[in-house]
Formats: sequence, C-alpha cells, structure tokens
Amino acid sequence: MYNLRRFILKHHFVILFILLEVISILLLANSQRFHRNRMVNTTNDVVGKIYEWGSEVGNYFRLNTANEQLAEENAMLRQRLSVVYDIDTSTYDISEGDTLYKYIPAQVVNNSTNQANNYIIINKGKIDGIERDMSVISTDGIVGVVTDVSRHYASVMSLLHSKSVVGVRIKQSQELASLKWGTNNYRYGMVEDIPTHILLQQGDTILTSSHSFIFPADLMVGTVEEFYPTAIDALNKAKIRFATDFATLRHVYVIQDLHKPELDSLKAKFQ
Amino acid sequence: MNKTALQIIRFVVLVLLQVLVINHIRLGGYVHPYIYLIFIMLLPFSTPKWQLLVLGFALGLSVDLFTGTPGLHAGATTLMAFCRPSIIKLISGNQKFENIPEPNIGQLGGIWFLRYALLMVLIHHFALFFLESFSIRLIGQVLLRILLSVPVSTFLIMMILYIFKSEKKRE
Repeated sequence: MYNLRRFILKHHFVILFILLEVISILLLANSQRFHRNRMVNTTNDVVGKIYEWGSEVGNYFRLNTANEQLAEENAMLRQRLSVVYDIDTSTYDISEGDTLYKYIPAQVVNNSTNQANNYIIINKGKIDGIERDMSVISTDGIVGVVTDVSRHYASVMSLLHSKSVVGVRIKQSQELASLKWGTNNYRYGMVEDIPTHILLQQGDTILTSSHSFIFPADLMVGTVEEFYPTAIDALNKAKIRFATDFATLRHVYVIQDLHKPELDSLKAKFQ
Repeated sequence: MNKTALQIIRFVVLVLLQVLVINHIRLGGYVHPYIYLIFIMLLPFSTPKWQLLVLGFALGLSVDLFTGTPGLHAGATTLMAFCRPSIIKLISGNQKFENIPEPNIGQLGGIWFLRYALLMVLIHHFALFFLESFSIRLIGQVLLRILLSVPVSTFLIMMILYIFKSEKKRE
C-alpha cells in the first residue's frame, strides 16, 4: 500500500495525463458511436443563449438580405398556392387536417461548416414543439436533422457531417440514390449508389426521395456538379452542389411530420 | 489585478473569442485556426504540473461544449499541456526564469515565443485533427489540415500577444 502511494505520488503527472486522455477519448468515442451530442443536451440552453447573443450582433447586418429572401419566398409560395388550388389565395383557408407537415420557423444561432462533423444550433426547442429526428430545411434546400433538443434550443446534424446519409432521387429518372457529405467542402456533397445505367450531366437536379423517413419527398437537395462513372458493375457517384448555402444560413424551417406517429406504429408492427 | 481573476477572465475571453469569432473564419475549408491555446501558453512557470493538465482539460472541454464535440479539444489540449514543461526545457536549454513569472514576449523575445508557440500549436493541431477524423483512411486530408492550420494559428496567436504587449506598456 505504501509503495503504491509512493508510486502514484512520484508519477502523478503521467498518471493524471493518461487518466484525462482516457476520459477524453471515451467521451469522443461515445459521441461518435451514437452520433448524437448528448453532452450538449444538458448545457444546450446556456450554450444556446451565448451563441444567440453572438449571432444577434451579426444579424443586424444581414437584415436586408434576409428580408429580401423571405419576401421572394413568400411571393413564390403564393404563386404556387394559386396554381395548386386554382382559386383566389386570399380566401382559401387551410385547416390543420389538410396538411401533412407543419413548418416551424427558427433562426440559426450557431453554425459551423469547417469541422469534420458540423452541427447547427437553432433557437427553437421542446417548448416550441421540436423533437428529435425532425427534418430541417432552408428556403433553398434541405439542411439536416434534429439530433438533440433542450427547452429553448435544438441542435441539428447538418448535411456536413460524416454520419449524414439522406435518401435522394434523381429528378428526371426517378432513380434512388443516397447522399453523403464526403467532400469536406461546405458547398459540395456526394451522391452515391447511382444505378449503372443512369448517366448524369452537370446541372441535373437531385431531390429528396419519398423513401427517406426523415425528409418529406421532393425537396430540393442540389444540382450535379461532376459525374464520376465507375467500372462496370459498380455503382456510379456524382458530386453535387448543395442548394443550401451553409455558410450564410440564417432562417430555417423545422418540419413536423403529422403522420409520423401513425407511420411509426405501422413500422413497429413489422419489427 | 488579482492573478487568479486575471486568469479566469483570460480563460472566458479566449473561449468566447474562439467559439464566437474564430470558429466562423472560413479559409478554403482546410484552415481551422485555434487561438484559445494562449491560455495554457501564458500560465506562470511556477504552475504545478498537475494544474497544467487539469486546466488544459477544462479549457478544451469548454470549447467542446460549444462545438458539440465532447472530448475532442479536451484530449488535444491536455496533450499540449502535458508537453509544455518539456517544450519549455527544449527551447530554452539551461536558461533560468527566476525573474520572469510567466512566458511573455517582452522578457523572452519574439523568437523564443515564436518557437514556443509553433511547437505547442503543432502538438495541439496534430492531436486534434487526428482525433477528429478518427480514422487513418483520411490521412492525406488530415496532414493537409495540419500543414495549413498550424501557420495560421501561430500567426494569429503571435498577433494577439503583440497587441496585448503594447496595451500593457501604455497602462
């Protein structure tokens, strides 16, 4: 016992170092395995608040652009509404039961694009009806999936994450493929598992597929930037440019799938 | 000012500067500068070794809270704190710091501090980017990140320290 104590005292620096490193690596391994940042959950409100202060300063400089963008989107939606229902938009009332999805507007309070795994923090949380696994989109395209929720804030795993996989389809041919980040550049993603007979060209549109249980179908994902045909029998790849500009992301919508409980209970029956 | 209070303020300011400002710098996707390391670099020479480790761990974990990467910065910063005594010994040889309370540019000179900062940043970034990718597959990218980020971090750190050095003289 005496020897042990002497040993610990003598080598306390190295022992403490190893201990702290082991803790770090365990924390890191844990967070990567579940690819959810659990630790953020407990402190999310504090962290969220600090980020919100930080982003409020920047927000004033971007008000003009944000307003323009939102007005444009408004006009586009009004136009689309009148086409779909072929009626005067001002008198048509959409009731709760008519819609499949509920859109919750939120603001980005923190966003990174330069890590290997990027998360976005938004200023809506549990009390606003945000739940885990809800999808997040911007005016231009899809953004990510909610991974953690605290009272007033939520963290979103962005498409710029090594574990992010989204079911997508090619607009022209309806063929399914899957989207990963895989480029480490915030502008581009990789569409993988494209069937061999499909040849894509620059500018082809990629949308979300209806098979993705996270995103609603037919949302804009991006356009093909470069197509990589591979050897026979292998599946093709394509580099795409994200429709969403992650660098300037400010206003997003969290989508609540109103039929999700029904779908989940149906899925549970088969498992 | 009280020494401990100064250290606490330094800690908080550097973490906030890192997560609210520096983390939003985008230079081509490979350059990720980190300046919060200044806190560990400027700790007094007389700091007990175990305190270096605990402070390094706490500092890294604080940054991790904001970036949502538990253990990543904590691991890298702890390693850097572990290496600090050896680095100081390596670059100063038999030089004694009897009248110098903590590493600073004014008393030790820019060249000494540049070597010090460069080595510390190199160790930190090496650990950080390898831990981050968590695989040997992306080794090319990781090395490129290290190669590009180390000079930028070192440059920013030296710049910040020079700014504060002149501030002190004016007071």
